Amino acid sequence: MSDGGHWFERNPTWFKTAVFYEIHLRGFFDGNDDGSGDFRGLTEKLDYLQEIGVDCIWLLPFYPSPLRDGGYDIADFYSIHPDYGTVEDFRLFVDQAHQRGMRVIADLVMNHTSSDHPWFQASRSDPTGPYGDFYVWGDDDTRWSEARIIFLDTEPSNWTWDPARGQYYWHRFFSHQPDLNYDNPEVQEQMLNVLRFWLDLGLDGFRLDAVPYLYERDGTNGENLDETHEFLKRVRAEVDARYQDRVLLAEANQWPDDVVQYFGDGDECQMAFHFPVMPRMFMGVRREEALPMIEILERTPEIPDNAQWGLFLRNHDELTLEMVTDDERDYMYEEYAKDPRMKLNLGIRRRLAPLLDNGRPEIELMHAILFSLPGSPVLYYGDEIGMGDNIYLGDRDGVRTPMQWTSDRNGGFSRADFARLYLPPQMDPVYGYQAVNVEAQLRQPNSLLRWLRRLIALRKQHPVFGLGTYEALRPENPRIFAHIRTYEDDIILCVHNLARSAQAVELDLSRWEGLIPEEMFGRTRFPRIGELPYLLTLGPRGFFWFQLRKDEQG
Amino acid sequence: MTEEQALIEFVTSQRWFGSKTRDAIHARVIDCAVLRDEDPRIEVQIVEIGFDTGTHETYQLVVDDGGFDALADPRSVRELVHMLRTGRNLPAGEGVVEFGTIEGMAAVGQELREARPISGEQSNTSIVFDEELILKVFRRLEAGINPELEMLRFLTQHGFENIAQLAGWYAYGGPPMDTTLGILQRFVANGQDGWELALDSLAREPEGFVARLRRLGEVTGRMHTVLGSDTSDPNFCPEETSVESVGLLTASVDEEIEQVFLDIPDSVDELGPIRGRGEEVRERLRMLTNVGGRGRVIRHHGDFHLGQTLWANNDWVIIDFEGEPARSLPERRRKRSPLRDVAGMLRSFAYAASALPLLRGVDPPAGFEEHARSEFLAGYRETVDPTLVPSGSSFERLLAVFELEKAVYELRYEMNNRPEWIAIPVAGIVRMLAEEVPV
Repeated sequence: MSDGGHWFERNPTWFKTAVFYEIHLRGFFDGNDDGSGDFRGLTEKLDYLQEIGVDCIWLLPFYPSPLRDGGYDIADFYSIHPDYGTVEDFRLFVDQAHQRGMRVIADLVMNHTSSDHPWFQASRSDPTGPYGDFYVWGDDDTRWSEARIIFLDTEPSNWTWDPARGQYYWHRFFSHQPDLNYDNPEVQEQMLNVLRFWLDLGLDGFRLDAVPYLYERDGTNGENLDETHEFLKRVRAEVDARYQDRVLLAEANQWPDDVVQYFGDGDECQMAFHFPVMPRMFMGVRREEALPMIEILERTPEIPDNAQWGLFLRNHDELTLEMVTDDERDYMYEEYAKDPRMKLNLGIRRRLAPLLDNGRPEIELMHAILFSLPGSPVLYYGDEIGMGDNIYLGDRDGVRTPMQWTSDRNGGFSRADFARLYLPPQMDPVYGYQAVNVEAQLRQPNSLLRWLRRLIALRKQHPVFGLGTYEALRPENPRIFAHIRTYEDDIILCVHNLARSAQAVELDLSRWEGLIPEEMFGRTRFPRIGELPYLLTLGPRGFFWFQLRKDEQG
Repeated sequence: MTEEQALIEFVTSQRWFGSKTRDAIHARVIDCAVLRDEDPRIEVQIVEIGFDTGTHETYQLVVDDGGFDALADPRSVRELVHMLRTGRNLPAGEGVVEFGTIEGMAAVGQELREARPISGEQSNTSIVFDEELILKVFRRLEAGINPELEMLRFLTQHGFENIAQLAGWYAYGGPPMDTTLGILQRFVANGQDGWELALDSLAREPEGFVARLRRLGEVTGRMHTVLGSDTSDPNFCPEETSVESVGLLTASVDEEIEQVFLDIPDSVDELGPIRGRGEEVRERLRMLTNVGGRGRVIRHHGDFHLGQTLWANNDWVIIDFEGEPARSLPERRRKRSPLRDVAGMLRSFAYAASALPLLRGVDPPAGFEEHARSEFLAGYRETVDPTLVPSGSSFERLLAVFELEKAVYELRYEMNNRPEWIAIPVAGIVRMLAEEVPV
């Protein structure tokens, strides 16, 4: 056995019980004092991530890029942005993460490149050359008008005129992000090479950005096409043939019926984000009703055994409201984006804590619900300490400010001069690094960070949260969101009070008559379940998780 | 009884099976390699035991035809050592079992005439050959290199002499996992167990023993200096402590204190002196963790106490570098302040003093613990690389944090396993609460 051997037991479905943690590399920790986070800095913080219980780190794009879309505009698939370090730094980081029992996945954009990418430059200047057909060119900018424009705030059309080539090029996102042409087999080959390159360096998988838009077809909206699924199945087969325990996580901001297609028959992506459930959690807490969550979960089809939902409260993008009705969207804007600056495209560009008015019970409740649902939770860096946002910064930068490590200069994020920082750290009295930082919260027994650490540890003792069945209980009290998770002999009852006031609820637990609910945090035993409805009272925004146990003590 | 049930029964009834309080409901052989084909046939098996909550643990079995533990049979263990010396690979179903030897050690214990098992072991199985070699078979397996192999190799390569030299090892590598299966070491003949020696000496000639503890301090300091000396090896390179490291330490110790105090039963008299004082202990922790200088973090022993030492040929030998068995492999490999080891040893002196009346029926000499501490620390400071440890009063404070951590760990252990020993960690915690916080 070599010392560099793998540090994990084989487990093709490891991601089903994993806690994910999303990191904006630029904002995490500056290891070389240049004002920007990097791989060396991140490597220094691995003990922290291990200690709070992270199983898998998800990195936003770190490739060379002009950074007009936070790095999602990739100019070279085979290298590291110089601000972040070198490929060697990356390799060392992955190895160090593995040694600590953590895996690493990275964002990969397959749909498009930056317009700075040499492929695009070659495609513009030499239409008949080897890259001439790498992008989607047309003489007519009215074709495929059924395809919606995603970045409504900045893009008037999905076509942009290129004077060099004298044609229009197709782009589903920004005009500086031309779509690759997947009808060209050479493009497919190139993309598979990219995947292999990073998997060979030890990466455990990819979050596939903007995956529904790979192909264009007449008379369609260009989303979720059969050809796209066929290509993704090919990607999966190529990965499975050569590598063990890797994961593909699809970013498909679609309705559940469409998203489940990305699992195929267990032969496409292993994971996909569940987008629609997230805004309904926020709605549920605001409206004090469980129905929006219960309904969307009911509308969520079964998924293959080897597949898993990725669940999140917030991420690096705006809180997206594409997967809600117009009424629901108006409601969300009304409640969560009172200042128009908070809106972006079809969404709200704010972090978790400010969205919930920094209410500790609300933040805990939302995490409890997130952790109790069928799926794997994805945390966004900084939300574990309740970091704030800065709506006066452009685009989505407001939720990408430096991680707040200490109350020292620059929040302990960097030793560079303040003026050199890629973005200013939060400094306001409520959310600023003086008040909100890792060091202080680690030392404070009742901090959010310490609470979340306990929640993660608890979840990890019970694979049922990742692997078990889900069954909603529908008590008469509409303010209570209650459900049962079951796996092997482990039965968990989760009861959440969405109301601002204390509530009583009667639950029909007759099927579990004779079992004893044991509260999971304090291990307190509650009265045995009898024939009659089980009565519970919950404090404002309170919740209980119980393990239903046989009475072993006689 | 089905084969699976038989396997569950067999594994869960072994003394090395670590999760006796949990419900095992599945068992399967993940991979196996035939060590010897003819009578007696011997197989090395990697077995997964699944629990009712859906988690699992992995164990190594060495079994004969009848499905019994072949390590009880001298012929089998000899076969294992022979294989080890060939340095060859043995095909398993999916992977391979690799055998490795250390240069220059092949001549040690060639004959393998007599094999005797070591008694009283908890988590592994060890067999001694001719008082020259000892084979340690790891039972509970985790993915990755076992720290014991890693540490012994490093210390041997860097010329640290107070260990039992590594002679060889065997490991499994394959798609299910890479894992260390066992190690072969030189056996320290006539080595006296440090714990037993402490009890015997305290009853008879305490002064001479305290002088030896000064030497133990020197050996420990030297061990840490060596462990923190190689910046070219990323697995051992000493690192600056990060700003949040003390916070991380505080958080984990604090949680342990809270959990253990939640579990303190009302019925046990020995717990009286600390019952209801959980908050006081946590408060003490917060005061202690205002540490200024932090020193550096290095790989260290990880489970350091008198029972991990031997006195032989007028010097100390440090053994058993696996780390605390209850912790996961990544945790055991983690770099921490070397003061964690120092604290472990200081707590061990307290144990020896308290155990003496229980086990030998005599009281320790007055002031023994204080004297032992100061001698050990004096020896330690003489040899340890001063850049590895905090300076001034930060040294005492960080040391006190680790002592508190250890005492809380002991409290949990004794509550679960040896109620008659509870008074020892209780007395330790009471003493720590009464002490002045070093400033």
